[in-house]
Amino acid sequence: MTLSREVYKALEDIVGEDNITDEPATMDSYAYQLWAEMRKSGDCFLPPPDAALLPCSTEEVQAIVKVCNKYKLKYKAYSTGWGVHGGSLKPGWIQLDMRRMDKILELDSKNNYAVIEPYVIGAQLQAEAMKVGLNTHLIGAGSLTSPLAAATSFYGIGPDSLYMGMAHENVLGVEWVLPDGEILRLGSFGSDCGWCCGEGPGPSLNGLYRGPVGAAGGLGVFTKCAIKLYPWPGPKEMPITGKIPVYRAELPELIRGHTVAWSTWEGFRDALYKIFDNDIGYVAHRQYILWGDRLQGATLQILTDPDRTIDDIEQFIGTDKSEKLSDELYRSFQLVVVGQTKRDIDFQEKVLDQILAETGGWKVQFLEEKDNANWSLLYMLRLCYKGMNYVYRGGYSDHMVRAGTPDILTTGAMEQMKEGMDNFAKRTGLIMDHGGDAAMGGMGGIGGGGYPGFENFGFYDQADPDSVRAGRELGDEGGFKAAHVVSGGYSIFYMEEDEVKKGIKEIANPRIWRYQRQLKEAIDPNDCGAGGWFILDEESIEDALRIQEERRPKK
Amino acid sequence: MALEDYRNYVKRCARCSYCKWIPLAHVKSWRFAKGCPSVSYKNFQSYSAGGRVAVANSLLEGRIEYSDGLLDIVYQCLMDGSCDIADKTCRYYVEPLEIMRELRFKLVEDGQILPQHMPLIDSLRKEDNMVMGKRTDRGKWSEGLDVKDLTQEKAGVVFHGGCQIGFDEKLAEIGRTSINLMRSAGVDIGIFPGQAESCCAGRAYDIGYKGELAKFAESNMDAWKNAGVKTVVTACADCYWAFKSLYPQYGSTFEVLHVVEYIHRLIKEGKIKFSKEVPMTVTYHDPCHLGRLGEKYEPWDGKERKILGQLILFDPPRPQNNGANGIYDEPREILKAIPGIELIEMERIREYAWCCGAGGCVNEAYPEFSEYTARERIEEAKSTKAQALVTACTHCYDNFNQYVDGDDNLAVYDILELVKKAI
Repeated sequence: MTLSREVYKALEDIVGEDNITDEPATMDSYAYQLWAEMRKSGDCFLPPPDAALLPCSTEEVQAIVKVCNKYKLKYKAYSTGWGVHGGSLKPGWIQLDMRRMDKILELDSKNNYAVIEPYVIGAQLQAEAMKVGLNTHLIGAGSLTSPLAAATSFYGIGPDSLYMGMAHENVLGVEWVLPDGEILRLGSFGSDCGWCCGEGPGPSLNGLYRGPVGAAGGLGVFTKCAIKLYPWPGPKEMPITGKIPVYRAELPELIRGHTVAWSTWEGFRDALYKIFDNDIGYVAHRQYILWGDRLQGATLQILTDPDRTIDDIEQFIGTDKSEKLSDELYRSFQLVVVGQTKRDIDFQEKVLDQILAETGGWKVQFLEEKDNANWSLLYMLRLCYKGMNYVYRGGYSDHMVRAGTPDILTTGAMEQMKEGMDNFAKRTGLIMDHGGDAAMGGMGGIGGGGYPGFENFGFYDQADPDSVRAGRELGDEGGFKAAHVVSGGYSIFYMEEDEVKKGIKEIANPRIWRYQRQLKEAIDPNDCGAGGWFILDEESIEDALRIQEERRPKK
Repeated sequence: MALEDYRNYVKRCARCSYCKWIPLAHVKSWRFAKGCPSVSYKNFQSYSAGGRVAVANSLLEGRIEYSDGLLDIVYQCLMDGSCDIADKTCRYYVEPLEIMRELRFKLVEDGQILPQHMPLIDSLRKEDNMVMGKRTDRGKWSEGLDVKDLTQEKAGVVFHGGCQIGFDEKLAEIGRTSINLMRSAGVDIGIFPGQAESCCAGRAYDIGYKGELAKFAESNMDAWKNAGVKTVVTACADCYWAFKSLYPQYGSTFEVLHVVEYIHRLIKEGKIKFSKEVPMTVTYHDPCHLGRLGEKYEPWDGKERKILGQLILFDPPRPQNNGANGIYDEPREILKAIPGIELIEMERIREYAWCCGAGGCVNEAYPEFSEYTARERIEEAKSTKAQALVTACTHCYDNFNQYVDGDDNLAVYDILELVKKAI
């Protein structure tokens, strides 16, 4: 499909000729997306959009949306646009690339918030916030993602959620171009009372527009929002040392990074509860396991050495040091402890030592060594190395998501996850045989603690169709089917609409999708906001509820 | 390797957008966080390295055909390599800079030529230079210099002036200063005067004319060999990159030094001493071709193999080429050694420096983009409150001087000009 000249002209009149194109090469640059090849077609290109536009203001976005309604045209907005959920999922859509709306409009250091546009990335916001003694929540995908997108439209968990909560917990005032082109301002901003509060005075619809995982563009375009910021007692600028690619952060004594480990899941579990209860920690994340429980020792030694590459890995695999390190790291996570004062950090360290003593835990020595500790601190605080997910040169898909209270660790779920992945890898040879447990995730999914969550990484080769298919099959085995093991598990990044509709019955409570659907029906009369499958139809929800009711044991 | 050989690479791009930014570890502000001038200027995804890799993928898959739009995407890029090192911070192995270069080779091979480039290539073919000067005008810069003529004599060191010093009187003084400093320090140095010197052809290679590089590399290397040259010195970062990183693929074993490396060496040996104060606050701009692209490039032509199912290894191991070994410290140490000079750093420096806007023949083909890029750097320099922006490349020097204006209150210097002031 292509846009008629009439429609193209109407859109061009809004953004100007330099900011709209339907040039085929550019359309394919938008069609190429992370995980596109994981769809049933195996094609790494999504359907190319009919046009791409670069609006620079709320007024331009509003005008575009009105034109789309006039011509019944679907639009999809993205900020940094990483992943199929940001792309043009079906033919005939237009892509709104929000990268010209890239300003930090306000940074209020007294009231601890920043007002941002869609294309501000986490690293920028964090750098500016640190100048005034504040910090921002960064989502697990790293600091090159958009805090606005995470807060308003998609997932928002991250390593610092222990201290700063999830993205949706931090969204305050919002400016929202509704699917019909009207502008709605939420929270205190909606009553012209500034940006400081998400709940008002003024309208509050946070739960509705976000739904369970965000509408991913299906409910219009969020053009501004205020993000809550948190105390940062560190330097005004991240002090970087080290040679590319091993940059490190040399931070003062108030900020300390550890990797804490246990020999049993019971110890790990009990320590998490105690960390939550004692309210210590700034970042808590099981990160380095993502390179696989049997390989993380070897890989970590390479990644902390600027002169090594993954081509050297065979020199490290199987050595005593690598094996010992992998064993040590198996039940571990990274913990950054930040004190607002010397007394505070000393207290937190003392509490941590006591927790480790009570739960049989220890600090992993390799990551206590100064250079490695500083590398790890930077990794955790700036999330600048999240692309190391690709260090094995292929792609990855995250499967078998597990989330719950720390008790999840002792339900057998971790073993099941490891065995499932390991067996699949050994049976097929088409995903990487890394030991089976590459389950990375945040240890405190709600501000102040709460629950850990894990995504188990299966590494496949995007250039090998058989390996890509295996990556998919692994998801089929371990995604929705496994999700009922614990509450809240879902993995819909790269699933197609029919799969999501079928899989929704495995979600703990399909009703969570209902209100977002009803909201969409109310405010998007022409169904122009293209959210793909992120807003499920009522029939699928009803169907899922019926199946769940049938499954329920009869009294 | 040819573009076809990158099929696996283009499919493995994670489309993460690291290529658009400086390494995220080094982000110090909102204002100076971006790394790629091309996508910062044009904004559409296709103007990023990730976008161009997707375009290469699409072309290889036969999804798109050649068009003016595609040529614009491929050529409206400075080939500055910011994308490449940002990606390599995360140990990606997609090699976007190589892929973008292969795209250009393929376009040229297939006759898809950017019209703006034709006068440059014609000039190279007819007049041995890419600045559209007459061959007979080359070399006026060296008239009267007390230096060996390597067409008549032999010397261990050749100073290669390059096309800009060779034809631009404003830049000629940089060449003369280089020679005078090295001669006064007792270096056995010579030049190929006038028409005897020719272009390095690095910029031709950068816009897709691989064959031109081969021709000029062989010719230049023959001349150096016949003159007994062991070391090649230049003040142009583009020439430096061509000699150091590109010529080895044609068998070059000459030692290649930028003049700042040689001057730095002479200062360390006590053969150059500063006697005058130069009271000035300066900030230093790392030229791409001296910095992140200036490390010795080791061509790789190996194969992939897999272990543990799908762990992809290169056999033999592939060099990192991540900018770690560029020339960053020598110019800074020279500046710090000059009495009175205070060096204030910009935010984007060393391997993650912002480009000056002259790379990839963009200043000739897309002057507005070149101006945007230069102005961005000038604004960054101004943000340091330094009185002067100093660089060590004739292209950077020329481009900054073209776009700096009086209201900026910012002087632009080549580092040798300051060295000369201090002696």
